[in-house]
Amino acid sequence: SIPTSAAAQSDPEQLQEEQHARSVLRERFLRCLLAMTNKKVQFHMHEKVNVEATFGASDIDVLNFQVSDLHTPIGVQKEALIRCQDVISFTFDV
Amino acid sequence: MQCDWLHSGPQLWLRCVHRQVRLRTGKQEEHRGWLLTVDPVSHSVVLLSFREDGASVRVVMGHAVKHVEVLQEPDQDMAERLRSFFHPPTTVSLDP
Repeated sequence: SIPTSAAAQSDPEQLQEEQHARSVLRERFLRCLLAMTNKKVQFHMHEKVNVEATFGASDIDVLNFQVSDLHTPIGVQKEALIRCQDVISFTFDV
Repeated sequence: MQCDWLHSGPQLWLRCVHRQVRLRTGKQEEHRGWLLTVDPVSHSVVLLSFREDGASVRVVMGHAVKHVEVLQEPDQDMAERLRSFFHPPTTVSLDP
């Protein structure tokens, strides 16, 4: 669960506005993940490690990404899970 | 502009959507782009940048975001482009 702000907890109108903002932002994020499915994605990780993989899916909490054909420095992993904590950012072309 | 980005909350994030921002990560990397959204669950920031041959999307994971600065507002054309970016029109053309 996601904690609401202190202001929203005491004011129902504020709470509704905050929930609305949250839902708009989340929908946009989910559409972005959807657009990423089956695309080649470059992951930028700690220690300047860059790997490429085909994006599959993310869990709802954005803790892990499921990818295919992960190109690592020691070979290609057919299927893999990437821990989001290890990722700094990732990019893909649209 | 926003130093305490992480704690500024969804309403402020929503107000920043479609603006051009400069984002700094903990590794002192800087990224510039149009803000598409901020995931309210993971606090990940989605930036869009245009190139001559298309566009690229960069998602910076929430835990790596250190600072976000608003650079400029979009003009009308850009705002429209950004609005419809991941939102395909829902009306289906029935023309043969």
